[in-house]
Amino acid sequence: MKKFLATLLALAMILGLVPAVLADDAPELITITAFKGAAFDQPTDDNKIFKKIEEDFGIKFEWEFLAGNLDETLGLKMADDESLPDLFDGGNSAEKLENAGVLIDLLPYISEEGTPNLWKHLHGTNVKLDQLLSEDGELFIIPNFGVIYNQEIKRHNGPAFFIQKKVIAWNDYKVPKTLNEYFDLIERYLAENPKNEDGLDNIGFHILSKTWRRFCLINPVQHLMGRPNDGEVIVDINDPGWHTETFINQPYAKPYYAKLNEEFHKGVIIPDSFTMDEDTYKSDLAKGTVIGMFDQTWAFNDCTASLLNQGKYEDTYLALPLVYDPEYVDGKVIEEHYINGTVMNKDRGFGISINCKYPERLVKLFDALLSDEWQIILHWGFEGEDWYYDENGRMNMTKEQYDHRNDAQWKRANMAEPLYDGIPKKEGTMDNGNAWDPSVQDEIYYASSLTDYDKEFMAKCGVEAWEDFFNKPLECAPYGEAWQIDKGPIDEDYQTWCLLQEQWLPKVIMADPDKLDETWDEFIEVINPTSKIYTDFMQEEVLKLVEKALGSTAQ
Amino acid sequence: MTNGAVRASAEKGKIGHFFRTLGKQYQLMIMSVPMLLYVFLFNYGPLWGWLTAFQDYQPRKGLAGSKWVGLKNFEFLFTHNTFFLAVRNTFAMSLINLVFGTVSSILLAVLLNEVRNRAFKRTVQTVTYLPHFLSMVIVAGMAQNIFSGRGTLNEILMTLGLTNSPILFLGEGKYFWWLIGVINVWKEVGWGTIIYIAAMTSIDPSLYEAAAIDGAGRFQRILHVTLPGIKSTFMVLLIMNIGHLMEAGFELQYLLRSGLVMDYSDTIDIFALNYSFGTANPHYAYGTAAGMFKSIVGIILLLGANRIARALDEETLI
Repeated sequence: MKKFLATLLALAMILGLVPAVLADDAPELITITAFKGAAFDQPTDDNKIFKKIEEDFGIKFEWEFLAGNLDETLGLKMADDESLPDLFDGGNSAEKLENAGVLIDLLPYISEEGTPNLWKHLHGTNVKLDQLLSEDGELFIIPNFGVIYNQEIKRHNGPAFFIQKKVIAWNDYKVPKTLNEYFDLIERYLAENPKNEDGLDNIGFHILSKTWRRFCLINPVQHLMGRPNDGEVIVDINDPGWHTETFINQPYAKPYYAKLNEEFHKGVIIPDSFTMDEDTYKSDLAKGTVIGMFDQTWAFNDCTASLLNQGKYEDTYLALPLVYDPEYVDGKVIEEHYINGTVMNKDRGFGISINCKYPERLVKLFDALLSDEWQIILHWGFEGEDWYYDENGRMNMTKEQYDHRNDAQWKRANMAEPLYDGIPKKEGTMDNGNAWDPSVQDEIYYASSLTDYDKEFMAKCGVEAWEDFFNKPLECAPYGEAWQIDKGPIDEDYQTWCLLQEQWLPKVIMADPDKLDETWDEFIEVINPTSKIYTDFMQEEVLKLVEKALGSTAQ
Repeated sequence: MTNGAVRASAEKGKIGHFFRTLGKQYQLMIMSVPMLLYVFLFNYGPLWGWLTAFQDYQPRKGLAGSKWVGLKNFEFLFTHNTFFLAVRNTFAMSLINLVFGTVSSILLAVLLNEVRNRAFKRTVQTVTYLPHFLSMVIVAGMAQNIFSGRGTLNEILMTLGLTNSPILFLGEGKYFWWLIGVINVWKEVGWGTIIYIAAMTSIDPSLYEAAAIDGAGRFQRILHVTLPGIKSTFMVLLIMNIGHLMEAGFELQYLLRSGLVMDYSDTIDIFALNYSFGTANPHYAYGTAAGMFKSIVGIILLLGANRIARALDEETLI
């Protein structure tokens, strides 16, 4: 009996080994820790896309998302090698990771034979590889957005002045084009509608001014002057010397803040604007109480989704490309250029940390995910389930399928958002003409993504797409967009400069009207020394980038 | 016998006495070992880290690999125009906390001490010290709801007709310190009473009886028995708190600050955070240098307060 048992046991052991031997060529299952420097929802355990990745590549992800302050979180993570995640996305402060040397150089892992998709990706038509490399020629992060295949499809997703659609409807669908027209409309609407439909107090114009979101307070002037987003500087693209200057301390910045001062004293801007944090701002937006603000579309997507889910279609926002009225700029008529040509999202996306044991497998994964088959899964989902071929043979989504993409719970189980957001991806169009990004596919953009309210709204305004309110995209300048320049070398002065603006601009806006000039002059005096340091630095960097770009086209 | 010999034998007696006492109290000695270890491990051990204040410290390179920069980090702090604002704010807010925190705690403790109804006393005690357990994030959220322009307090003031337009409590520098003081008192008052109530229970009841027989009323008994009875506790706590004057708290200011009140809200900790983590490259050493500055000032204050107390013939710490 004993012998029999022993044989049985031995047999069981051998049988147990068989699957392992058979599966030898399948890669060993590894778990990758990944950090994203932005808030995301944790994917469910049975998320269909992550499950397929696990089956196909033997890679499982353990996600950690930003909760709290980005710079502090990164600082703490970098302080200890052990706490470095394998896949490291530094969000809006990724330069920190590169400068601290916690990311590995990806170039040695990329080759024409080994990773053909990535190779092609980095040698695409609009890729300026030179500009992506560090001073020592290393590539730490492959841009997560901005690499275009075939045809570029440009939609507005960036900075603008926003206004609730119902206010435009109330104004007989007449759309303001200048700063004065905009605030005049808000004033008139607010006077007639001090409260919204739910009985909550309406807020005329909201300004988020804390942390890195202070761009809502600082950035508008460049757009009012007719430039796309260069961050905190205006570059004169007609000047052979690429004259670069900070705009906040220029005479042409004053009219904007003087206007805000006027609106503050009229009660259009509430004092809470300058003490609130982002949570309060977003909840005000999601309640439908904010008539207008300056922001970037992607930065309050969740509020829009919330408004749509509540059925408050008329409270969603229309993006407006406002410019200064001629009276503010010596009678000049300014042409708006809010939409810029696509720039590579330099230094944004996943890097691989020096702590990662499987860099090669991760780069191979990036490469495999760049295949057409996987790109469709990541962008669109699975055929039949998430999208279908319509009668014209084009890829399409029903209204229901598209609406899922506004549902946070559905996305947790059916989309790979945190991964999608950080990996290199294809944009523009596929070889068969469909858009890589479903939300810009014509059939969807003009139908499924629009509510009935939107369609009626556009018809009444006499436009077919939201972009019709904007001029055609500008051709992207050779230096890209100046906000991408790493401020590392002057970081202390830059920090002081930012804090001074965060401190003084609200003061200017809230100043007594008869003390406005005095306060403005004081501000200029305080800001000038650091402005000069920043301007000089940016001028030099812009010139370097231009040289690199023009150099690489010459090759 | 010469003087030297006398001294030597006295010394010998002293040493012998020391070891005899040590032998008698060896259980106590063994019991104190873990605490000593704790102090060395967590209070003295990290002092090695102070070396990084003299480096351009990069955690990845470690202490050995980072570049030594002498006093450059201190130079940055002491030449930055907002650093001394931060020092002023730190002092101002912790002084307000110290004065109002202590006064309110003693007041509440005295009042509770006079309450005869046990159930009422217990209820008040529990209710007043519960806020101590709240996270500062929640407290700051509540403060936003109460004190903001659209907050509860402004609504009440406007309904009562005390003001026409909302007062921006969170956006005015002149209110900020006091606001922090009020919130801290609310949060910590109950917790602060515990130690004073404990001190009061150790007062000999016969003192109260004797005072009552001598015709002292309730207020006089408080004045002449209760307060002197907790004086030594008060002095020890005061000296310790003076040593902590450089700690004004961090979370509350950090969560309630905005550009409008920056000149009043930013403490040394927030300053250090802004320039060590807020910048494009982390400068860990600024944080260390600021921390070192705080510790040294704290030690000086502690020793100073102790010396003054000794000069005044009061209870001292050391």
